[in-house]
Amino acid sequence: MTTKPALKLVRGAAAPPPQARELDWSILMARAQDGDANAYRRLLESITPYLRAHAARCHRNPSDVEDAVQDILLTLHAVRRTYDPARPFSPWLTAIARRRLIDRLRRQGRRRAFETEFEPAHETFAGQPRNLEDMTKIHEIATALDRLPPGQREAVLLTKIEGLSLKEASAASGTSVAALKVATHRAVQRLRRFFSGGSEP
Amino acid sequence: MTPTDDLISALTANLRPVRRLRPPLLRATGFLLLAALILAMIAAAHGWRPGLLVRLAEIRFALSLAGALFTGVLAAVAAFLVSLPGRSRHWLWLPFPALALWLFSIGYQCLSFWTPMAPGRASPGETVSCVATLVLTSLPLSLALGLMLRHAASFNPAPVIFAASLSVAGITATALTLFHPIDASIEILMFNLGTGLLIMLSGAAIHLFLSSRAEMPE
Repeated sequence: MTTKPALKLVRGAAAPPPQARELDWSILMARAQDGDANAYRRLLESITPYLRAHAARCHRNPSDVEDAVQDILLTLHAVRRTYDPARPFSPWLTAIARRRLIDRLRRQGRRRAFETEFEPAHETFAGQPRNLEDMTKIHEIATALDRLPPGQREAVLLTKIEGLSLKEASAASGTSVAALKVATHRAVQRLRRFFSGGSEP
Repeated sequence: MTPTDDLISALTANLRPVRRLRPPLLRATGFLLLAALILAMIAAAHGWRPGLLVRLAEIRFALSLAGALFTGVLAAVAAFLVSLPGRSRHWLWLPFPALALWLFSIGYQCLSFWTPMAPGRASPGETVSCVATLVLTSLPLSLALGLMLRHAASFNPAPVIFAASLSVAGITATALTLFHPIDASIEILMFNLGTGLLIMLSGAAIHLFLSSRAEMPE
C-alpha cells in the first residue's frame, strides 16, 4: 500500500531532526512566547527550510511551495500560545504543517476540477499585434458589411460589433427589438453565406 | 529578499508576548467546574426533580444519567486535548464508551416511556421552565467552550467543534435529567450536534468563499 506523502510528516520517512536542533527550537519558541523578537526570527528562519522540504513533497510548483510555507508560518504565529515548552517542538510543528498542507491539497483538488491552467500560449494569442491572421480578415469583413442592406448593417454593428444589448441597440437605432432581432439574424445568415460559399451577400 | 523572508520580518516586527495555555487537563477541569457551578445554581433556584432519589435507584435511569454525565466530562477533556497541535487525534475516542452507554439507555427509554410520557405529565409551565434550564445550561457552556477553544479555529476546528458540542449536549442532558421529569436526551443530542455541524458547515462555506475571493486575480 502506498502512503500519502502528507502523512509521512509525523514519523517514518522524514529523518528525525537531531536532538540538538529540537532543543534549540524548543528554547527559541519559549523565548518567542515571552516576546523575544530576535529568538522568534531565528526560529522562523531555521524552520523555514525544514517546512520547505515538507511542502516540496506535496507541491511541484515552487511558488506553491512558498505559498504553503507562508501558510504554515501564519498558522504557527496565530496558535503560538498553544505550544508547551515542556513538550518537544517538532510534533507540534509537524501537526500544524500537516494540517495546512492537507487543507491546501484539498483546496487545490477542488480548484483543478473547475479551472484550466493559464499557459503562456494563451498570452501570446491574446496580444493584438500577434493576431496577424485575424488582422487580414478584418478588411474582408469590412467589405462584407458594406455590402449588407443599411438596416441589417446597422443591426449587426450595434449588436454584434459594439456589443450592445438588444434594448440598448433598439434605443440607439430607433427600431423595435423584434425588428432588430430579425435584421441581425438575416445579416448573420448573409455573412455566413458570404464567407462559406463566396457568393454575394 | 523573497516574500517568505518579508513575512518573517513582518511577523517578528509585530511580535507581542503571549500567555501560554495551561495544561489541557487543568483547563478542562476549569470548564467542568463552571458547568458544576451552573448546575448548582439551577439546583438552588429550581430544585431537584420530584422523586429524584427514588429514580436514582432504578438501574436504567442511573445508567442514562451516568452516560450523559460522563459523555459531557470526557468529551470536554477530548476537546481540550484535540485542540492542541501535536496531540493525538485518537483522544476523540475518549467519550465514545460513555456515549454508547447513554445512547443505549435513551433507546431503551424511547421504547418504554415515550407514549405514557407525552400527554398529561408535562404541564405547559413545566415545559417552559424545562426550556429555560436547557438555555441556561447550554448557552453559557457553549460560549465558554467557544472562548476557551478559539485558538483551534486556525488550526483544525472540525474535530474540536464535534467534541465540544458533544460535551455541552451531555452536560445539558444531565441538567435536564436532574431537574425535570421530561426525557429529551435525543432532542438535546440532535440539537447540539446539529448546531455543531451547522457551525462546521458555515465555517467551511465561509472559508470556501474567502479562499475563492483571495485567489481571484482582481
